[in-house]
Amino acid sequence: MTNFHDLVDTSGLAPDEEARLRRAHDLLVRAGPPPDLPPALSAAPMQASEGTILQFPLLPRRRLALAAVVAATLALVGFGGGYFLGHSKSKPTAFQTAHVVSMHGPGGGEALAVLRIASADSVGNWEMRVQVSGLPKQKQRSAYYELWLTKNGKAIAPCGTFRVHGKKTNVHFTVSYEFPRYDGWIVTAQPRPGSKVGPVVLT
Amino acid sequence: MAYVISLPTIGLMTSDGELIQAAATGDRSAFEDLYRRYARPVFGLALRRLGDRGRAEDAVQETFASIWRSAGSYQPERGPGAPWLYAVARNAIVDRARSRSEIPAEIPDEAADTPGPADHTEQGWVAWRVHRALEELPEREREVIALAYWSGLSQSEVAEFLGIPLGTVKTRTRAALSRLSEVLGDELE
Repeated sequence: MTNFHDLVDTSGLAPDEEARLRRAHDLLVRAGPPPDLPPALSAAPMQASEGTILQFPLLPRRRLALAAVVAATLALVGFGGGYFLGHSKSKPTAFQTAHVVSMHGPGGGEALAVLRIASADSVGNWEMRVQVSGLPKQKQRSAYYELWLTKNGKAIAPCGTFRVHGKKTNVHFTVSYEFPRYDGWIVTAQPRPGSKVGPVVLT
Repeated sequence: MAYVISLPTIGLMTSDGELIQAAATGDRSAFEDLYRRYARPVFGLALRRLGDRGRAEDAVQETFASIWRSAGSYQPERGPGAPWLYAVARNAIVDRARSRSEIPAEIPDEAADTPGPADHTEQGWVAWRVHRALEELPEREREVIALAYWSGLSQSEVAEFLGIPLGTVKTRTRAALSRLSEVLGDELE
């Protein structure tokens, strides 16, 4: 919905002020949404030396080397990591939304989901907070809903499962996929674990 | 259809021109501020023109390397920083397109030191300025703008999602547009 009067309460505005806001509105519509900045570009390039060579730490030509370092680091800390995570008293960092995805029922209706996704952490984990409303409660104890990343309309990467309760359901997931590889999101209704991909209820 | 939008996350004070001049003296933090302001507009421009995320990432790297190298050539008396940065980015993107001997997804204008009048009306320039201006909004206003304009949600759904009254959504939208119009200035003329 990008109708100016639907979005902005213009009551009490002088005509020239309304015209100014409308021009800003028109430019926003014309510009479209800002692009999703990939993790490799999340920080300014590093100065490699006193000269003028700048390097992004995560750009493709360096990713293999980085992956080796990360793998080695994970191998070293793997044993102790669980203890640390389980016993750390440090406060979690505040969730900061970097991307928003909205999903609706394929045939209209009241079903709605909004995904708020934070920027990926240093190793590519994307934390997301999902709010779902309007989906019917599951009738069977084994049934659940599942969030997927899709490619060419097919559910490819599972991102998490949930059951709904009440009017709104809020769940948190963390996924480690490279989002640019995929082209959409869906939620399916799953009758039981191990079943094939169920009917799409949100897209 | 799912809609995906991204939210910038920074607030800003110093002018672009001042940052470019500071970067020219080797001021690393000024360069990082420029990066935070312009990484998204540069990436958007590169993506629009090259049509490939990987190549667009490389173009961003080349753009900022070029900014770092040539910041000393910026002359504030010739104009503000945004058009200069736009010209540097466009030239880097054109170079990348030509280096592969491939036709860019959107044929760029001839590379030049500064964008001419025709450039100012083109879609890329508008997106560049608007996305840059969005960085100036407070977080709560950016969030409302992104949801209201690009999420596909109705105003009522935005209000419900954010847990705020519908009137507050409209108030924030109006405040955000007012702030954007101030930042965009002559872009609105």
